[in-house]
Amino acid sequence: MKSIEFLKFVHLHGPNMWTYYSVFEVWTDIGELEDYPSNTLPGFNERLSAWLPSLVEHRCSYDERGGFLRRMEEGTWVGHIVEHVALELQTLTGMPGGFGRTREMSQRGHYKIIVQIWQEDVTKKAIEIARDLVMAAINDTPFDLAAARETLTDMADSLCLGPSTAAIVQAADDRRIPAIRLSEGNLVQLGYGSRQRRIWTAETDLTSAIAESISRDKDLTKSLLQPCGVPVPEGRMVDSAEDAWEAAQEIGLPVCVKPYDGNHGRGVFVDLTTKGEIETAYGVAIDEGSGVMVERSVPGIEHRLLVIGGKLVAATKGDMVAVTGDGTSTIQQLIDSQINSDPRRGGTEEHPLNIIRIDTAARLEIGRQGLDGGEAVPPAGKLVLIQRSGNHAFDVTDEVHPDVARAACLAAKIVGLDIAGVDLVAQDISRPLEEQGGAIVEVNAGPSLLMHLKPAVGKPRPVGEAIVAQLFPGESQGRIPVIGITGSRDTTAVARIAASLLQLDGKRTGLACTEGLFLEERRIQSGNCARWEPAQRLLMNRGVDAAVIENSLVTMAGEGIAYDRCQVGVVTTIDNTELAPEHGIENADHVFKVFRTQVDVVLKGGASVLNADDDTVAEMAELSDGEVIFFSADAASPRIVEHRRKNGRAVVVRERNIVLAAASLEAPLIELDAIPLLGENLDHLPGILAALGAGWALGLSPELLRAGIETYRPDITA
Amino acid sequence: MEISRIRALRGPNLWSRHTSIQALVQCDANESAISLLPGFEARIRARFPLIGAMRPIGYEGEISVAHALQFAALNLQAQAGCPVTFSRTAPTTDVGLYQVVVEYTEEAVGRRALELAEALCNSARADTPFDLEAAIAELRELDEDERLGPSTGSIVHAAVAHGIPYRRLTLGSLVQFGWGSKQRRIQAAEIDSTSAIAESIAQDKELTKQILHAAGVPVPIGRTVYDKEAAWQAAEEIGLPVVVKPRDGNQGKGVTVNIVTRDHLEIAFAAAQEIGRAVMIEKFITGHDFRLLVVGDKLVAAARREPPHVIGDGKHTVRELVDIVNSDPRRGTGHATSLTKIRFDEIAHARLAVQGYTADSVLPKGARAVLRNNANLSTGGTATDVTDDVHPELAARAVAAAKIVGLDICGVDVVCETVGRSLESQGGGVVEVNAAPGLRMHLDPSYGKGRDVGAAVIDTMFGPGENARIPVVAVSGTNGKTTTVRLISHLIGQTGKRMGMTTTDGVYVHGRRVDTGDCSGPKSARNVLMHPEVDAAVLETARGGVLREGLGFDRCDVAVVTNIGIGDHLGLNYITTTEELAVVKRVIVQNVGPGGTGVLNAADPNVIKMASACPGHVILFAADPHIPAMMTHRAQGKRTLYREGNQLVCSEGALVERLELSGIPLTRNGTIGFQVENAMASIAAAWALGIDWNTIRLGLATFVNDAETAPGRFNVFDYKGATLVADYGHNPDAIQALVKAVEAIPAAKRWVVISGAGDRRDEDIVRQTEILGEAFDGAVLYQDACQRGRADGEVLGLLRQGLAGAKRTKEVEEIRGEFVAIDTALARLQPGDLCLILVDQVEEALAHIVQRISESKT
Repeated sequence: MKSIEFLKFVHLHGPNMWTYYSVFEVWTDIGELEDYPSNTLPGFNERLSAWLPSLVEHRCSYDERGGFLRRMEEGTWVGHIVEHVALELQTLTGMPGGFGRTREMSQRGHYKIIVQIWQEDVTKKAIEIARDLVMAAINDTPFDLAAARETLTDMADSLCLGPSTAAIVQAADDRRIPAIRLSEGNLVQLGYGSRQRRIWTAETDLTSAIAESISRDKDLTKSLLQPCGVPVPEGRMVDSAEDAWEAAQEIGLPVCVKPYDGNHGRGVFVDLTTKGEIETAYGVAIDEGSGVMVERSVPGIEHRLLVIGGKLVAATKGDMVAVTGDGTSTIQQLIDSQINSDPRRGGTEEHPLNIIRIDTAARLEIGRQGLDGGEAVPPAGKLVLIQRSGNHAFDVTDEVHPDVARAACLAAKIVGLDIAGVDLVAQDISRPLEEQGGAIVEVNAGPSLLMHLKPAVGKPRPVGEAIVAQLFPGESQGRIPVIGITGSRDTTAVARIAASLLQLDGKRTGLACTEGLFLEERRIQSGNCARWEPAQRLLMNRGVDAAVIENSLVTMAGEGIAYDRCQVGVVTTIDNTELAPEHGIENADHVFKVFRTQVDVVLKGGASVLNADDDTVAEMAELSDGEVIFFSADAASPRIVEHRRKNGRAVVVRERNIVLAAASLEAPLIELDAIPLLGENLDHLPGILAALGAGWALGLSPELLRAGIETYRPDITA
Repeated sequence: MEISRIRALRGPNLWSRHTSIQALVQCDANESAISLLPGFEARIRARFPLIGAMRPIGYEGEISVAHALQFAALNLQAQAGCPVTFSRTAPTTDVGLYQVVVEYTEEAVGRRALELAEALCNSARADTPFDLEAAIAELRELDEDERLGPSTGSIVHAAVAHGIPYRRLTLGSLVQFGWGSKQRRIQAAEIDSTSAIAESIAQDKELTKQILHAAGVPVPIGRTVYDKEAAWQAAEEIGLPVVVKPRDGNQGKGVTVNIVTRDHLEIAFAAAQEIGRAVMIEKFITGHDFRLLVVGDKLVAAARREPPHVIGDGKHTVRELVDIVNSDPRRGTGHATSLTKIRFDEIAHARLAVQGYTADSVLPKGARAVLRNNANLSTGGTATDVTDDVHPELAARAVAAAKIVGLDICGVDVVCETVGRSLESQGGGVVEVNAAPGLRMHLDPSYGKGRDVGAAVIDTMFGPGENARIPVVAVSGTNGKTTTVRLISHLIGQTGKRMGMTTTDGVYVHGRRVDTGDCSGPKSARNVLMHPEVDAAVLETARGGVLREGLGFDRCDVAVVTNIGIGDHLGLNYITTTEELAVVKRVIVQNVGPGGTGVLNAADPNVIKMASACPGHVILFAADPHIPAMMTHRAQGKRTLYREGNQLVCSEGALVERLELSGIPLTRNGTIGFQVENAMASIAAAWALGIDWNTIRLGLATFVNDAETAPGRFNVFDYKGATLVADYGHNPDAIQALVKAVEAIPAAKRWVVISGAGDRRDEDIVRQTEILGEAFDGAVLYQDACQRGRADGEVLGLLRQGLAGAKRTKEVEEIRGEFVAIDTALARLQPGDLCLILVDQVEEALAHIVQRISESKT
């Protein structure tokens, strides 16, 4: 009986021994399939690639198109195939394929399938579908791939970030700004601790609640814009048919008559010019809402201008559709011959513009022009409007007149929004509004970004980048100093000393270590907190200016690291006999790979603080993107001498003094005898040296380091 | 009695600084003295005993019905609870016609009070009944509807105490503080920096708890469930007792507490699901409900809240007990009192049923029956101030909760036994955070000390001493206002400030015209002060707006009065003399803020008199330093500005700053006298604002005043070798100044083109040509577009009349139409001649002149 059994799904939430990203490590037993590599399963490869022809794009093993299919032909095992199928299913669902790997475990037929996670539930489902699909291909049984894909698409739609939020998060990621999703919805934290910012769709924590509530009230908005000289459709409430006509004359014809709080365009009359029309319109509109407004008719097409941080970053134009009568054709026929014949219109995703159908809105629009639906035959030469605004299909960012842009930005500012979608009606966006009677009709908070990211026609605009630039000016990545500490011994001591040094420096410091979770002096959780979840809590806390996080081998192997990158990564010592078979850490090589993750995540401008007296640790120096600061109990060790020859920094002991050494310079910091923690034996010495190295890496002054070590008592914060 | 022209004076005005209703009241012969109306006084007193003396202090004249109306309108408002004190009745030049002015705090209440006062007076005259109680009740209710609610009101009150100007943007609770680029907004107890995201987080209780938990703030753990199986499972995991509530509810709807059985849980679950599908099962923490108010990074108030309840006496039924409690006079029905009546409705009955009681149960002595789950004041709950008892650790956790969620004003709901110990030590927790919390329970708690939370909100929005004002210069006078406004604006603009400016030509913001037409009234001033891109404002303040509505601002930093002269527009609005006109123009001077400055023309006797009305400093300017007022002012070491040869001298005690007139192109090397005066006024204003001298010099040197930037303001052109000067001058003083100015320009023969505006007094129109007749060889008189009610040819006749005995003018032509008049004059000109064209339709006429000039060159 051939089968693929998933033994467990290990969710690695952050950087891990495989990759920087969050992955599933799926422990899998392929049973007797261990004896059947793909080339030995008759018809399998053909069936699978028939279902998923796009597998040809996988470059695996040979780094060329078709590489993975070649591996299948040459023979590979099903675990590896499930991995690729799962990645492909994610790609087909619209998520970038991402990282994947499959590794044999020591037990025969057991594999770890590693698949990058885009959304936990979706990825898990993709892996499960992949297994079922592979089994169906093996057994030559039918498989409803379309249904499976639809399931995945539905899940992705409801569980993944919405497109606007995703665009912002992607833009943040491009700048290496970390992101933490805070809710099942679109609430996302960018950056860490006190430097974090929050976004929720296209709103940020700079978006004022009052501004948002103003923007929801169109008339209030208008009443604020008008006095500042922003063109709006002037108008007022009227209380009778006569008053409506009076108002129309004050405002100037043509006018629009509409219910004050109606919806769906019911009872809305546009372009009215006669007393009779206006009084009749009043009679209808009064029944649709709680009052009637008479407003200046604004000629033109709806535009959406996106203003971010006082600048116009994108603009789109609505797809206004009109036909010209020929005296014989019906409106429907005219739409088919004049509009839908446009090759850009169609029903598939490849067509940038939609097919125009006479829907309720169109019927209403046609009715307003005195014609009765799609079967009416307009006289020759008569222009009939079918759709007033519709989709904001055309990107017109480069055409916006500077005065129009200025008016949109001023409107956003008056309402008080940092990000605003300004709706504007104009005939020609490349001319000033005043000369064409154009007007700003609405200012929206939390505008959808989709129309700018994927306009039907024209250039997509980097609106996510603009929002991120607004939240994180300059090069800022929203990071607080993070010290990550790992190793086989002394890690808790290093963490506690390092945290006390940062606290002494005036930073509100969070500490997650085996002795608990600490905010400054206060322990908010006891028990082992050298784990992913408590560490994540620190990074989510707006009251944390700096974080010190201890990571054990088991945490890194079983949960992943809580931060994507850190300023300082400390590795104390490595005991490569200490394995963790329950986490699949079965040999010295595994141990090394897990521990090195801490060095891999050190930022370019950061530092790895490594124990020069431990050969395995010292070996990691070359893996560090940032500077390496060695620490050693022996100032004369060849490794230290060599490191300093290359202008490296080190914290060492010389003649019972801790010394900060850089290149040829040495500054004695403190005598060993002056360190209360050290006592008789020197057990804690490596920990102290490592903590000093971490503090030094973050730019703490020697005076502060000295004072910190002199005054540190292990029991102070317990 | 006939009442007409009712106006709301919405800013400082001719009468006082108070917002007031002003009306014209025509009394017939009898009504002008109530002593002539037998029984009237007795009848009106019978109808409204608290109308008061009806005799203003110190007034010894006859009391008219207008006076009765005045005191009735004022005291009706006072009886309705409005804090109003100012009122006035002033006779006009017309017999029996009075201006009645009555202060209001809410415009609608003021207007209605006037109507009711009229009805009262009429009923007293006709001896018909007047329902005083109904009138006062109506005003009281209207006032409650109109005025700000207690939360917003407390913040606005604190702002006013800080000298921060405010303006309501809606009938609701949206209020703007400050002006221009310094403006801020609040809406109820929410400020503009409160983020929409923080508000959304606060609305999602589970998310809030998750975020608070992450930050180490104790919260009752819980989770969301969607069916009753999961609800029970969650309850067992969390540990009983539990609370069941809708995840996205508010005001305690659908919440059940202290659930210990599965049956109870299922009932509670169903109740919660009526509000929303997502239901929270949460650890029930026992203790009292406390509301902690965090503003900025401080805990400013704390209250213990109790749901509405009654305590048995062994005699009365629950219903009777509720009635007894509700008979407490402190319990009202609205938001105005510290206690509200307990609502004895279905919810209360249902809550009683849970406790095994009905409305008719007689409660045993000491037994407590709760009538609602929540402790909202609006449903009869009570709040007891406990601010002073809060343990610092507990306060720190409340502040942290607000910070973590991101709310700068936050109501933190805590459940614990006592606020006197930390939450951790007693197993208490934060159960909810609220954006825009109600402040009433802290301002006016049912028991204990009220807290000035409004002041705390203002302190967090504004630093010490900040009042959110931008520099405001008001300019008034008969002539030179617009040029002075533009020049002051230009001088301040040199410091990098974005200027807002109102003039008779329109509203300008940062160099762009945002409104057109005559914008010298209060509405335009308010618009400029609303504009978020204005760092300083210069506001031309014409008399019309002051009379109609008062000022558009509560006070200014500098008030400039250029001149009164012999006046302009006299005869309108019962302003018949220059002294009376001066009183109107003086309003800006009277409303200079503390530390502000009045800039006054010492050469004008009516202007110099305003000095004593200025609450701030005074700078006097005049070309001639020997005018007595200038001399004494200088001798006192105060600031004066005068001319000495080709220099302007700014002197303050021993400090003297000299500015070369050659450095002020506007004055044409000091040859145009009225521009020298405008320059002096402007320099004085800049000096008052502390702008340094080099910046002032740079501004003076770069100020451009041509037809394009200042249409109709002494625009000089060359036409075929002749000099044309176009100006919008249209009153005797302006004409006099123009004559002086053009006399400085050498010319062979002098021509003038003039019309007269129909709304001036006859004598003023005649006076214009009288002046011109002394200085010009020829005159082209024309009739302008706007005759304002005058017969065809009437104005021309007046103009001609002025030229009757002219010494110099020999040639006179009468023309209909401005362009024809200009063309006629141009045809007469020879090289070396000069022609002063007094334009009427400024832009069109200037365009016409420019076109003729360009034609002459081709």
